[in-house]
Amino acid sequence: MKQNNMLAMILAGGRGSRLHELTKKVAKPAVSYGGKYRIIDFPLSNCANSGIDIVGVLTQYESILLNSYVAAGRRWGLDAKDSGVFVLPPREKSDANLDVYRGTADAISQNIDFIDTYSPEYLLILSGDHIYKMNYAKMLAYHRECNADATIAVIEVPMKEASRFGIMNANEDGRIVEFEEKPEHPKSNLASMGIYIFNWKLLRKMLLTDMKNEESNHDFGKDIIPTMLNDGKSLYAYKFKGYWKDVGTIDSLWEANMDLLDKNNELDLNDKTWKIYTEDVTALPHYVGADAVIDRAFITQGCVIDGEVKNSVLFTGAKVAPGAKVIDSVLMPGAEVAEGAVVTRALVADGIKIGKNAVVGSADSKNIELVAKRVKGDE
Amino acid sequence: MSKAFGIINFAGNHIRVDGLQEFRPVGAFSFLGRYRTIDFPISNMSNSEIENIQVYVRQKPRSLTEHLGTGRHYNINSKRGGLNILFTEHNQIGDIYSTDIAAYMENMDCIEELHFPYVVIAPSYMVYTADYSVFLKEHIESGADISMMYHSVDNAKESFLNCYTLNINKQKGVLSIDPNHGNAKNRNISMDTYVMTKELFIELVKKAHKMSSMYTFFDILNEECEELDIRAVPHRGYFAAISDFNSYYHANIDLIDLKNASGLFDSDWPIYTRTNDSCPTQYFEGSQVKSSVISNGCLIEGTVENSIIGRGCTIKPGAIVRNCVVSADVTIGKGVHAENLVIDKHARLVRGKRVIASPEKPGYIKRGDAL
Repeated sequence: MKQNNMLAMILAGGRGSRLHELTKKVAKPAVSYGGKYRIIDFPLSNCANSGIDIVGVLTQYESILLNSYVAAGRRWGLDAKDSGVFVLPPREKSDANLDVYRGTADAISQNIDFIDTYSPEYLLILSGDHIYKMNYAKMLAYHRECNADATIAVIEVPMKEASRFGIMNANEDGRIVEFEEKPEHPKSNLASMGIYIFNWKLLRKMLLTDMKNEESNHDFGKDIIPTMLNDGKSLYAYKFKGYWKDVGTIDSLWEANMDLLDKNNELDLNDKTWKIYTEDVTALPHYVGADAVIDRAFITQGCVIDGEVKNSVLFTGAKVAPGAKVIDSVLMPGAEVAEGAVVTRALVADGIKIGKNAVVGSADSKNIELVAKRVKGDE
Repeated sequence: MSKAFGIINFAGNHIRVDGLQEFRPVGAFSFLGRYRTIDFPISNMSNSEIENIQVYVRQKPRSLTEHLGTGRHYNINSKRGGLNILFTEHNQIGDIYSTDIAAYMENMDCIEELHFPYVVIAPSYMVYTADYSVFLKEHIESGADISMMYHSVDNAKESFLNCYTLNINKQKGVLSIDPNHGNAKNRNISMDTYVMTKELFIELVKKAHKMSSMYTFFDILNEECEELDIRAVPHRGYFAAISDFNSYYHANIDLIDLKNASGLFDSDWPIYTRTNDSCPTQYFEGSQVKSSVISNGCLIEGTVENSIIGRGCTIKPGAIVRNCVVSADVTIGKGVHAENLVIDKHARLVRGKRVIASPEKPGYIKRGDAL
């Protein structure tokens, strides 16, 4: 397939500290989701499905797993001759010291040389930690149609929640007139999704200026977008309709998993025209035992279910022993629940074992319990 | 890296699986939901560090070539190694001429140009795991001309009827190879798995070709039993031969028991297959699933018992699927009761509400059929 002149850069350096132990060893984009995926599978698969051939992934925090995971570009089909996924952690350069990425814009600035080798017409900036399906080719078409300097994808959020987001105030044509970061009194409910298309030549110039500005936070939301608006550039809002989730906390990660249990849920991972690709694990289909009870669940290969599973999502290789109960919970890859144990409203982290007859979480808890350490049971 | 290259042979004329075989060779049969039978011999070879593998196909190559692709998913080194799919044209003339010997003769240049001193041959219609590096090492140490694997069974009267049996002396020397006539319980079933030098292999193929146009590799071995030192090597663990319709059905159903499956699957010995990037399976309210093996991408609202469900199947509310082996992308409609069946890919059981075969003689639902 021929290069469509748009290169994508995924910002995947985020730590996601509100996910606690889940992001102790891995960056947020590498956190598991939906039974068999990692969050970064979504932007990567969207790129592959949108016909984008070159994807740079900007990593920083705890990046070993993320780097090796992303480097295998063929998982997403990004392995044709002129295609590839490139891992771009901060690096030392001949004319500058090794420096961490100081902000989202700085991460791009520090990789201008990489982008220049492809001399794209457009640059697509994505966030590595959002769950959604989107055709970026359609967004690019809109960007061209509007003759825009930059286009920002927005989604309508409930008005009462709008003050949690970066809000775009646009006129009737969709042209953005004002941008407010987490406004106390929001004027609209169009939240920025952190997805931008820029004309590369213009952005390149702006980044070079921004790099030298000591006052700047080197951030797209805080610096680049406001500067563009001040300069009278034409910025357009591209309205996205569909499922979109930023899973910042344990509760929202749990919730995003629970969303998959709904019939005809909006994300529809079963859509054959827009598959989400991921690591290909060698695991058996899942095994359901003679006394198992499964009621509303999302279960993937490698699982073994001999107990009861209700309203729950089971990731690769999770095991539920006879007599165990898993209710309103998420079992991450390799989590095991031993005989007689009961897990309610909990998120059990990767490889964690819940011992015999142990009780974890409760039905009327306010927050979802994160189980990140082995829970001993009766021996 | 192994000193041997691998050959995966097609099922000969003695193998006949009604229904399924109309659409694809046995190697491309769906197995345990997410696999194809050929995944087992190829994974065995790949795990045994055999880097160069030839897969022989004689009929209906479409589904097999689609599944094998470049072989990259089998963990075969894409530069040093390779997976070659080799065809035979002799099927044009008729089954009698379409033997493995004819296929090897036709592709002799591809065999001769390989620089490996040994060859490991395995069939595409048998399901088992074995470490061929040990098989090869012991063969070299034994000084035998040929080593071949067998599996001792105690149900040869009713099973393995199209297979061959080995008549072995106390020193594990093979005295003769005979068809299984089903007149004894205890038999040593040939696993059609051999190791020998490439030179001897080529010599035997050429000899067989000269002797008779209908000779198979088994025929020439049988002929040479007295001349050659052929050693029998016992195999332990799970073993199934997909030699007829019933054996296909039972090989699948037997693996619903996790104890049986643990004799075939081992985390140190991965069985590779081609991924389809299906999402996990979704169970809805009211689903009742017991004693079953379920692949990804299914939508389950009905009842499933003692069955294997392939990738991307839909089981509607009120449907009952019992004792069935279901291939990929099958739909079982509302209130449809399906029992004791092999349901082939893309079939839709919607209108006929009771599709029930007897447990002794499981039924077959054709690929893409609408019932």
